[in-house]
Amino acid sequence: MTDMKTSMTSPEQPGPGRAEGGGQDPADLLALVARGDHAAFEAVYDQLAGPVYGLVRKVLRDPAQSEEVAQEVLLEVWRTASRFDPARGSATAWVMTIAHRRAVDRVRAENSAATREQKLTPGPVTGDDVHELVETALDRQRVRRCLGSLTPTQAESVKLAYYAGYTYPQVAGLLGVPLGTVKTRIRDGLIRLRDCMGVTG
Amino acid sequence: MSVQRHEVHLLTGGYALDALTDDERAGFERHLARCPSCAEEARGLGETAARLALATAVAPPPELRARVLSAALRTRQLPPPGRGPLARAGERAGRPRRSLKRAGLTAGILTLAAAVAALLFTQVSTSRELQQAQARNSAIAAVLAAPDARIASAPVAVGGTVTAVMSLRAREAVVTTADVPSLPQARVYQLWVMTAAGAARSAGLLEVASSGSTVPLLAAGVLPGDRLGITVEPAGGTAQPTTAPVAVMPVTA
Repeated sequence: MTDMKTSMTSPEQPGPGRAEGGGQDPADLLALVARGDHAAFEAVYDQLAGPVYGLVRKVLRDPAQSEEVAQEVLLEVWRTASRFDPARGSATAWVMTIAHRRAVDRVRAENSAATREQKLTPGPVTGDDVHELVETALDRQRVRRCLGSLTPTQAESVKLAYYAGYTYPQVAGLLGVPLGTVKTRIRDGLIRLRDCMGVTG
Repeated sequence: MSVQRHEVHLLTGGYALDALTDDERAGFERHLARCPSCAEEARGLGETAARLALATAVAPPPELRARVLSAALRTRQLPPPGRGPLARAGERAGRPRRSLKRAGLTAGILTLAAAVAALLFTQVSTSRELQQAQARNSAIAAVLAAPDARIASAPVAVGGTVTAVMSLRAREAVVTTADVPSLPQARVYQLWVMTAAGAARSAGLLEVASSGSTVPLLAAGVLPGDRLGITVEPAGGTAQPTTAPVAVMPVTA
C-alpha cells in the first residue's frame, strides 16, 4: 500500500499516457469503483487521466477549459461507475465515450451561445496534429499507421468528426461534399481503422 | 425528420465519433435496440474510436489528480440502473409470504417483543444507552400495539428470515431478523425504505446479535407502495444501496 502510494506520487513517473503500474483491468477496477472503492478510483485515474485529458484538449484546445472538462469527466466516471456494462464494450471505450461526449457538448454549447468566441471554435485538424504526439507508445504508432491506410478523404472526415468534434453537417460543409458522402466516408474509414488495429468485439 | 431507412445503417460510424445531431442519435439508439448487427458494428467502431482517444494521451496538470480524488470523496455515486436494486431483487425473490392471520400477528409480535426484551437486557450498559433503548423500545412498542399493525415476513437470500410489523397509521415499521448469518467485520446489514418512485432512504443498520436475530429497527415515514429492503454494505453503512438486496418486502395497506 505504501509502496503503491510512493510510486504513484513519484515525480519520476514516466511521461503521459497510462501509468506504468496500470496492469489492472480497467473493467475490474470500475466494478470496485461502483462499490465506492477510492483506491480503485485512484488506479483508474492513473490509467486513464492521460487519455481523458489528452482527448478533451485535442477537441477543446484551450488548456484551462480542458482541465475543467477533464475533471468533470473523471468525476462522472466515479459517479456513474455502476452504469458501466462490460457487455456493451470495454471500460476504456466507456470512459473515452464520456470524455468525447463532454468535450463535444462543451464545443457545441459554446458554438450555439449568443456570444460566440472564435477561440473556442476548434480549428480544422491537420495530419500533423495527430502525429505531433506520437513518440513511442504503441497506441500512437498503430493509430498513425492505420490512419495512413485510409484514403485521404476518409482520414480527414474521421479526424474532423472525432478530434475536432464536428457533426456530420459541419464536416460536410467544411469539405463541400453531400451529407451522405460524409456518412459513408466516416463509416468506411472507421471500419478500415478497426480492421487495421485488430479491434475485436 | 426521420432518417431514411437505408441510411440508418451508415450511422454506426458517426455514432462512434459523436458526429450525430441529438435527434439523429436518439433515433439511432432506438434502431440499435432492434438491430443486433448494427449494435455489434457500433460496438466495434466505439472500441476503434477509443484507440483514437488513447493516441492523444497527454499528462494532465499534476494538481488535477488531488482535485479529482478529493472531489470524488464529496460526490455521491449513482446506484445501479433499472428501477433500483431493491426492485430487482424483489422480482427475483418473488412475492414475500405474508400472513394477516391474527394468530400469526400475535406470534410475530411476541417474537419481536421477546427479542426487544432480550436485547435490552443484554446490550444496555449505561444510563444513556438505557434512555435511548427505552425511547426506541416505546416507539417499537407503539407500533406493535397499533390497532392496524400487520406482520409480514420474507426469506433472506443469505439465510434466515426478516420480519416486519407495520402500522400504516403510524407510518412506521419495526423490522427484525432471525437466523441470518453474521457478516465479516467490514460488512453490515442495512435497512432501506424504497419509495415507489425508486428512491431509497436508509432506515439504519441491523445489528446481528450472537443469536442470529437483529436488534429491532424502527423505520419511519413508511407509506403504502414503499418497499423495505435489506442490503449488505461496507461497515458504517452507505447513503444509497450499493449492492443488490438480500431481502425485500412490500408495504401494503
